[in-house]
Formats: sequence, C-alpha cells, structure tokens
Amino acid sequence: MNVKIKRQRYPGAEPYWQTFVYNGPKDITVASLLDEINYRDDIVDIEGNPAPRIGWECACLQGMCGACAMVISGTPALACETFLRDLKGETITIEPLTKFPVIADLVVDRSRIEESLKEADAYIRDYKPSEKIGKAAQKEYELQYQTAKCLKCGLCLEVCPNYRGGERFFGALFANDCYLIDSQSGDAAPEIKNVFDEHFAAGCSKSLSCMDVCPMKIDTIASIARMSRK
Amino acid sequence: MKTVLVIGSGISGLSCAISLAEKGIHVKLASPFPSERSQSVMAAGGINAVDADNPEDSVALHIQDTLRGGRNIAGKEAVAGLCEAAPSIIAQLERRGTVFTRNAEGRIDRRAFGGQSCKRTCYCGASTGKQIVTALVMACRQYEAAGLVERLARADFHSALIADGRCYGALLFDETTMSLTPVYADAVVMATGGQNALFGKTTGSTACDGYAAGRLFLQGVELKNLEFIQYHPTTLETPQKKMLISEAARGEGGRLFYEKGGKRVYFMEDKYGEGGNLMPRDVVSRCMEQAGEQVYLDVSFLGAETIGRRIPEVRDLCMKYREIDITKEPIPVSPSVHFFMGGLAVDLSHETNIRDLYAVGECASMYHGANRLGGNSLLAAIYSGQKAAESISGRDSNTTAPDFTAYVKDQTDAFAVSFDSKSQFPVMYIRDMLAETMRQHLGIVRDKSRLGTALHDIEYYLSIAERIRYDSSVLAYFNYSLTGILSLAKATVLSAAARKESRGAHVRSDFPEESEAYQAASVIACKDGAYTIRYDKEGRYER
Repeated sequence: MNVKIKRQRYPGAEPYWQTFVYNGPKDITVASLLDEINYRDDIVDIEGNPAPRIGWECACLQGMCGACAMVISGTPALACETFLRDLKGETITIEPLTKFPVIADLVVDRSRIEESLKEADAYIRDYKPSEKIGKAAQKEYELQYQTAKCLKCGLCLEVCPNYRGGERFFGALFANDCYLIDSQSGDAAPEIKNVFDEHFAAGCSKSLSCMDVCPMKIDTIASIARMSRK
Repeated sequence: MKTVLVIGSGISGLSCAISLAEKGIHVKLASPFPSERSQSVMAAGGINAVDADNPEDSVALHIQDTLRGGRNIAGKEAVAGLCEAAPSIIAQLERRGTVFTRNAEGRIDRRAFGGQSCKRTCYCGASTGKQIVTALVMACRQYEAAGLVERLARADFHSALIADGRCYGALLFDETTMSLTPVYADAVVMATGGQNALFGKTTGSTACDGYAAGRLFLQGVELKNLEFIQYHPTTLETPQKKMLISEAARGEGGRLFYEKGGKRVYFMEDKYGEGGNLMPRDVVSRCMEQAGEQVYLDVSFLGAETIGRRIPEVRDLCMKYREIDITKEPIPVSPSVHFFMGGLAVDLSHETNIRDLYAVGECASMYHGANRLGGNSLLAAIYSGQKAAESISGRDSNTTAPDFTAYVKDQTDAFAVSFDSKSQFPVMYIRDMLAETMRQHLGIVRDKSRLGTALHDIEYYLSIAERIRYDSSVLAYFNYSLTGILSLAKATVLSAAARKESRGAHVRSDFPEESEAYQAASVIACKDGAYTIRYDKEGRYER
C-alpha cells in the first residue's frame, strides 16, 4: 500500500506531501507503520528519494495518553489504535491535526487546550460528593468515571465544525470538564455554569461529531444535558 | 519568595507542585509534554491505604507487607512514613475529585493485590492513574490561575546547574527553538519517571528514558538499587509493545496456568496454595520463567458482567489489540519490564547528595527495596512529592547563585558545533542495540558471564556515542541524551554484577541464595569517570 504523509520540517516551514511504500501485514496500527518506516536502514520515498525520519508524538502506544492524535485517511484518530486493516483503499493519508500549529510533520502544539481550561477557571472549588443514592448514584459514577478519562488529545476539537482555535468556543472536552466539576461541587459552583454557557453552549451547533471520534467514547451529550438542565 | 523548579508533570511532579503552591511557594513546572501524556495515566490497578474500619488490617501490616515484599532492604522509617500517610492521601485525593470505585454502601472500595495480607488497594476501575491525573491537573490548574504555578511547556531537561555540592537550577532545552535556557531556582525537584528506554519498549511510556538520572549521575549525583528491575508477570504481546494486563485481573480472582498433556496446570496455586496467583510480582515472574511454557491468565469464569464492571479496560485492550474475548478465552501472558525500584539516591526528605536537588516518584529510589508491591507506586508518587515540598518549605532561600555563564556558553557552543555535523551512524540504532543488550543479558535471571557481555557491549556503544556526530534525522534531544542513557545502563549492569546474591527482582543463577552480607541498598557514584559501588549499611539514604 502507499502511505501519503503531509510533512513539514519545522514551525512555519512550507508543508509538502511525501509518499512511502509499505508491503507488510495489515494487522498493525498506524503507529507501528510509522515506526516501520522510520526504522528502515534507508528511508526513501516512492520515487527513491532519501527522506528525513517522520516526526510524530507517542508515549503510551496503547490509546491511553492521546499523544499520537492525527488525521488518518480523513478521520481524526489515534495512530496507536487505528489498524491498517480497517482503512479503505490502497493509499492511506496521514496528516497532522489542522486546528493546531504544526511543530514538525505530525507533531502539533496543543497547548491552547490547557490555556482555555485555565482561562475558564475549570477546577473544583469546594468538593461536595453527589448525594444521589442507588441506581442514580451508579449512573452518576459511571458518567464521571468515563468523563475523567478524557485524554485532552484534541480529536473532538479537530472534527468540530464550531471549534476555531479556542478563541471563544472551547469544545466538547471543555463541556465534559464542566460536568465533572459541577457534579462534584454540589450547588457550590455557579461559576462553572456561567463559563459553560459562555464557552460552550453559545457556540455548539450539536453536530455531535465529537462523540464519533472520541477515543474514550465519552458520552458528551450526557454531559451537555446535565449542564443544560441547571 | 522562593521559586522551585519541578521537572516532570506526572503524578509525583503534580503532587510536589501542588504541595509547594499550597505553602505559597512559586513553582515552575517544566516538562516536554502535558500531564495527560505522562506515564502516570497508565497506572491501572490502584493505590494502597489501610481502611481504618477494617479490623483485620492495620498500618503495621501495610508496613510489614511492604518491607517483606521488598526483601528487607527498604528503610523501616521511610516505609512507615509512607504507609501512615496513605489513608489521609486517599481522603485528599477524594476531595480533589478523584472518581474512586465505591462499594454498595458508597464507600471507597478496596481490592486484593499481590503480596498483601488484606484487601487494601483503593482503585478507580482499571484506570486509577488516569483518574488521579485528571483530579491533580485540575487542582494544579487552580494554582496556575492564581499565578503560583507556571508551566514551562516543551521543556526537556538538559543538565543541572551544580556548583560546590549545591544545585541552583537547571538547563532546559526547547526543541521548537533549538535553544538552551538556564532556569535558576532555590530548589530543583526531579520527577522524570523510570528508565524504560534502557530496555526499548516496556509496559510503560516511551517518553520515560532515564536520561535525567544518567546525566545527573555524570554530574556527581549518586544512584541507588539500580539492579532491581521489576518484571511484571502479566503482559500481552502485541505488534507494537508488550501491554500490561493489570494485577487487578488477578486481584479479582484471575488464575495463572499452563497446559501440559492437554490439562491445565495451575502452577502458582500448586506451589503456594489458594493465594498463589497473588504472590509478589518477583515471585510470580520467576515461577513463570521456571515453568518454561506459555502461561495463560484466565478470568473468563468471572463472567461478562463482573469483567465489564471491574476490569473493563483489560477486556477492551485484549479485544482491540489481539481480538481475544477474555470473557470466553484465557489471555496468553509473559513477564516484561515494568518498574524500576532503583534510581536517584535520596534521603528521607527526598533530597539527593547534592543540596537543594530533590527527586520524587519513580526516578527516585525509595520505599520499594528489592521489589515493589502493586499499589505502592501511586502512593509513593504522591507521598514523595509532598515530602520534598515539606522539606523545601522549611529551607531558607538560596544564597546568590554562582556565575554559570561559562557553563551555559560551553553547552550552547557544543550544541552549535554538533548541529553543524552529520552522523553516519544514527542515534536510534545505538538505542536499539542497547535495548537488545539489556533485554538479553539483564532478564529475570542473570549471571556473571551475561553481565560481563552486557558491560562489554555498553562500553562499545559508549565509545561510539562519544565519537558520533549529529544525527539530524531525529530530534536533537535523542542526540544529546544518548551518553546519559548509556551511562545509566552501564551503572545498572555494574550494580547487578556487584550484588552477588539473589534478592527480590535481582536473581543470579550463580548466586541463587539471599546473603546477609548484601542486606542493604547499593549506591553507585561517578567521580572523574570512575564508577564506584558501596552498600548503604549505615542508612545514609534510607533507614
């Protein structure tokens, strides 16, 4: 198969496409594929030209850290859990996330995510556990547990039609953090409802594409519903 | 006002930064990646703390289990401090919003873990580390918003600014600008994790490479207990790495077996009785190695409902990467490098032999002796961060830093010369060869001959590394970190060769018994290029 990768040597450099050939098994992930290309003795592209090693970010290599978020054949996904066998066609394309500045090749600067959360003062002020009991408590726990697994990988922002660099609208990951804070603050957190309205509710057109690409399968619509009921 | 530089933003770094900020101390929290990418998020099983309402358990038992699991070389005072603080740490994590799994009464549940006499491991499903990171990131954000914590993003550690036995800050490297920047501070806290890169891909993060410990070693910081490397018994082979199957799977009742003559042999239960599957990790890994057969872990009898409720992450991982349905079939498992009991030598306040230079979390060697119990690493990460903060807050601010201008210029000039050259011998090949050497010769069972071969190989790689030119095909960090990583590997092999006994995770086929002569931590130092080893019988570091 052909692997077409969008490359950029350094921040601000002109991006270009480069194609590599891969003839190995398809039961590996895109992360393994990038490793395979990078560790060849001589890295050459499809035309035989020497190529620099491909820059990409990884840490856990098993879908737990979000480092390797990128756009694979048009879909935002984690490279370490996207298998070649599930990709259609004989050519796959790999691009960096487009909503963040590129540092090199597939590595992007996602610091805007944390900046947004900081701007919105997204933290628990006075912890107060939920007073729900029985099945309602269990349901609350499950949503909190799932929500707290957010990787801050940025895939939900990449796919979102409303997210434009986090100037005002902070996206699904922010809505989920708002729920996590609110549900653990009793009635003590009116501020979080205000920032939710300002930085999420006012800008979300409810395409819910964020839920399709979330690697943690977070039930964002449940978080939104909980925040909107307030 | 004091300023402290914390390097590394996983759980131990966050814990230290938050504790310092709570005391009104300014923190610069430097790391190449955000906290969500730290290895801490991969910690699955849980965190140990005695339940005060459980009449069968006590802090004394937690201390006893930890010391025994570590084969009696961890410091009693250190371990007592850790175990005594555990219940209040859990209460604090709860207040910070950690989503713990609860029992029917709504109280934090506890599960059984290896080497422990009671159910004392608090947990959040099978993603305890991630849940704690989420809570601590939020807690830290509060202090960031208040201006007490400043995150230095994309900051790689280069070296410490040390003069006359005292640390005044660190030199940090930014890959995007390719520049070195000195950051001065009243104290520096290393929170850089374990030395995974010595073995290539382990169960942990590829970002934890041990460079910081290696570089500091070359700068005169002592290292301790390097020979104790934990092989986790249950990992799953996949094309991209060996993935951890959490001890929680056995804590929930999972059974280890191999097949012989068409029958299942439950070898751990045969040897150790009912609790055999939950023996300490060093014991289980050794038994698996001795079995010489493909070992399987069976949880299918727990049923889909229990598996879905208690260990869904294990179920999902096996299905995603190997298409194994653990509700119906056993998991093929094998031991793999998982945790480093050794690291930077620190005293009870987590200070190294260099004044004002501290180390916390996995990069520091403390509490675990020759083998760590599951559930004690998250505890130690949080506790060590708090201990260091406590000590720092009690200290006066640094005197004026000496002039490091010449040092910074030398290092910057060396970079410039290096960037202008081109290597014919890529850095990553040397790292791969090192990993191969370590995997082959520093496995579960070692001997003099294998360790000798490893030392010979590593000295050869070091001789290449010293002559190598700049490999522009990889990040600058991979270039400048090579010598530090190789030096740490050499120190590790020398520490393993020097310990002529078998204890915990260090097993020598040529010295199969535990020896009283070695009942102490090993300490290795580097002076003028010479490595020397001693045993800390007087308790300089841990007592």
